[in-house]
Amino acid sequence: MPRWPGASQIPLDILLETVHTPPRMSTKERLELMQGTLDLLILRTLQPGRAHGHAIAKAIERNSEDVLQVEQGSLYPALHRLLKRGWITAEEGTSENNRRAKYYRLTRQGRAQLLAETTKWERLARAIGSVLRGKAAVRP
Amino acid sequence: MNLDDEIRDHIERETQENIERGMPAEEARNAALRKFGNITRVKEEARAVWRHAWLDQLLQDVRYAARMLRRDPGFAAIVILTLALGIGMTTAIFSVVNAALLRPLDYPRPERLVWLAGYEPNLKRDWADLSDFYQWRAQAKSYTAMAAYEYQEATLVTSAGGYRVTGVLTGGDFWAITGARAALGHLPAPDQQGAIVISWDLFEQQFAANPRIVGSSISLDGRPATIAAVLPKSFRFQFPAWWQATDPHPIEVYAPIPPLAGAGRYGQVVAALKPGVDPARAQAELQVLEKHILEAPSPTQRLEPSLARVEPLQQTITRAARPALLLLFAAGVFVLLIAAVNIANLLLSRATVREREIAIRAAIGAGRMRVVRQLLVESVVLALGGGAVGLAVARAAIAVLIRFSFAAIPRLVETSMDGRVLAFTLAVSIAIGLLFGAGPAFALRGINLHDALKAGARSSAGPQGMRFRKLLVAAELALAMILLAGAGLMLKSFWRMSAHPPGFTPEKVLVMKLRLAGPQYAPNAVQDGTERYVRELLRRLEQAPGVEAAGIGNWVLLAGVHGLPNDPTPTQTHVLRITFSSPGYLQALGARLLKGRWLTDRDTGKAILMNQSMAREAFGKADPVGRKLSVPAPDTVVVGVVADLQYSQLDQAPRAEIYVGLDGFVKFLRTSTVAVRTARDPLTLAPALRKMISEIDPSQPVYNIETLEQSLSDSIAPRRFNLFLLGSFAAAALLLAIVGIYGAIAYSVAQRTREIGVRLALGAERGRVVCMVVREGMSVALAGILAGLAAVLSLAPVIAKLLYQVKANDPWTLAAVALSLAATALAACCAPALKAAWIDPAITLRSE
Repeated sequence: MPRWPGASQIPLDILLETVHTPPRMSTKERLELMQGTLDLLILRTLQPGRAHGHAIAKAIERNSEDVLQVEQGSLYPALHRLLKRGWITAEEGTSENNRRAKYYRLTRQGRAQLLAETTKWERLARAIGSVLRGKAAVRP
Repeated sequence: MNLDDEIRDHIERETQENIERGMPAEEARNAALRKFGNITRVKEEARAVWRHAWLDQLLQDVRYAARMLRRDPGFAAIVILTLALGIGMTTAIFSVVNAALLRPLDYPRPERLVWLAGYEPNLKRDWADLSDFYQWRAQAKSYTAMAAYEYQEATLVTSAGGYRVTGVLTGGDFWAITGARAALGHLPAPDQQGAIVISWDLFEQQFAANPRIVGSSISLDGRPATIAAVLPKSFRFQFPAWWQATDPHPIEVYAPIPPLAGAGRYGQVVAALKPGVDPARAQAELQVLEKHILEAPSPTQRLEPSLARVEPLQQTITRAARPALLLLFAAGVFVLLIAAVNIANLLLSRATVREREIAIRAAIGAGRMRVVRQLLVESVVLALGGGAVGLAVARAAIAVLIRFSFAAIPRLVETSMDGRVLAFTLAVSIAIGLLFGAGPAFALRGINLHDALKAGARSSAGPQGMRFRKLLVAAELALAMILLAGAGLMLKSFWRMSAHPPGFTPEKVLVMKLRLAGPQYAPNAVQDGTERYVRELLRRLEQAPGVEAAGIGNWVLLAGVHGLPNDPTPTQTHVLRITFSSPGYLQALGARLLKGRWLTDRDTGKAILMNQSMAREAFGKADPVGRKLSVPAPDTVVVGVVADLQYSQLDQAPRAEIYVGLDGFVKFLRTSTVAVRTARDPLTLAPALRKMISEIDPSQPVYNIETLEQSLSDSIAPRRFNLFLLGSFAAAALLLAIVGIYGAIAYSVAQRTREIGVRLALGAERGRVVCMVVREGMSVALAGILAGLAAVLSLAPVIAKLLYQVKANDPWTLAAVALSLAATALAACCAPALKAAWIDPAITLRSE
């Protein structure tokens, strides 16, 4: 199983997920999305308040300026994973146009997890960034 | 909203957005589907999130366990059969407990049904006066309905002939409380006279299931009545029935209680409480009511108000059977535990064999929990197999029990394997699987990978494992000892009950019931038909070939008798039994005359015989012959004393009893017993006698023809039932314990083959080797037996309730049981010991 470089310092459970090919982007621009990352994005999306599945998918697309294109379906296993860990809860409700929908909402644990994962992610990004910049500096 | 709905909702929203962006409808939907990805896979993955963790691994464990068991079918068969025996027996006894103690009555709102009665301290039983019942029903505020009933044998006469039927008289809201619906006709209103209801069985057997009989007239005990309704086949009479011991038949006829002529008619009373009223409050009300009844100008009864009682009906029904059933249930659980211990031992032996396999699994990465769970899953799979076969065993056992003695336990005939029994079996199977699986899992917890993987290494379970196994065997023997002691004590009680005095030969006495019913036998008939009938009956019986002595008699119980000569105070009360009989009756039954003379035809009702108990109670040590007594009438003279004779209820101490001739008392013979002593086997004579008696009056059949021996044996049917069950449990326990000790010693010998070989090679005598092995086994066995003995002594108060004239710590029984168990254990140890002694050192030493 390939491991993220630098994972020895940062014990983040990140595994490569199936590579998706978003239809509207060229192969060069595609981004591999990792399981842990999708979970983190969902948690972040739910931070302001509750949302249903479709709204979460839309929010992730919109906020990443359409760079992160996931198959919308892969959202649901991730949601169930988060439910099982107790980071989010689900409830029934009616949406704006009076349709029934299932809403997800962060739990207290989920908020704590979001904070912890965000910190980790920032440290990871900083570490990778500095490695990449350092590499450029020592080029003969 | 489930996952399917949620995904459908998602795609609809996406489609809607695409349409709003200007796509045509079909393309919009396709785009949405494309963007969503593979729906089936998404669903599978989302569900797998929940299942993955335990179910997949569990299924894997189960598959693996099944493969392991298939590889060793002999082992699996032994375990499953052992368990089937234990689980089957436990399930069978639980089914009986379920039917008798746990399952509510089939009537509406059974939890609100209560039993109303006064307690009669002299007779030590509940009773209620029916005239009180009508006052309770009119005045009490705690109930929605109240009903009375009383046992009534009756002769039912139709155009086709007369049958003797088992019936009850009913009064008040009997049909409302039972919630019965008529299969045919209409159930009569409360106390509607002349309207009877018959059971479906009677309808089929005596009326050929002809629906036109509803509304037709019949005669019940000489009184005209109309069949108002037929009950459905499913209806059962489930109220407490004290007559079950003597008349264990289902109720066939329900007739109204006739109008009361004053006090002195007894019955049983049941009622349905109003919601929110508890039995304690109802009882307080009943005691106040009863006090008012006593204060009335002419009180109808003599029930002491403070002894009036209201209690849940379920409690009344189960009270008598509860201690015995709970004890038997405990015995069943003991058998199951012994079976489990045996299997734990077997698995422990296998665990050492499987050490290598488990070491390999651990070496390639299985966690300790995973290995333990694998072992537990294996044993639970085995236990479930045992449980499934056990259900078949239980089914057969229940059928045997019902055939053996269906009247011994209330509602035994209703025993079946309902949902609760199946749930019990499932729970017990899983629990027992975890229990016996825990042993090997425990033994293998600290397995040393390095040692276990070395080829040919000695078992590391070693001495500690062996000690654990011996502990299990000792526990097994202790449990077996408890069961055997219980069975032994009950067997001795049985012998005590069945030990007849010399000369008493109940197997040569034929007894039969006779019930004279009809206008010509009524007490106020112009010509006393009863007297004529009895005289004719006795004349024919005495002339019949093969008859040595014959007579007719009936007894009544007289409570609250005062003023016997030996009483220290005039207020002392006695309960006496008075038997009205023809002179030959006592001789036919087999009584032995101790003093004085027998009664003869010439004696008037003023001459009586009495038994020893009565002589002691009335006259102390003085000689009663020639003395006077005021029972049953003033100036009665005692002409003789007979030895105490138990001829009706074997497990009750003999009652004080007096015997009176028929002069003036013939009217007490309406329901009576005819006793005939014969020279040959009495049952061969029965058909001729039945025919001869029916010739006197064809409408008065004799019934319940059996030998006195059978009748006595039926009188202790519940005890026979208990002994039969406990005996079976004890036999199973003994068998399992012997197999257990044999297995443990044989395994120990096998483990020590090399050591024994070395000993023999160094010159040990074979006798010494035998001694060594036997000593090893017997020290375990004796420890177990002694522990069991201690447990029996501490359980003595519980066991004592089921015994008769035997103490629970009866030293002879306990010693005999302990010795025979020890002897059996010795025999079980001898086989492996002899095998050990004949080990050939040359072969053993070369083989390793």
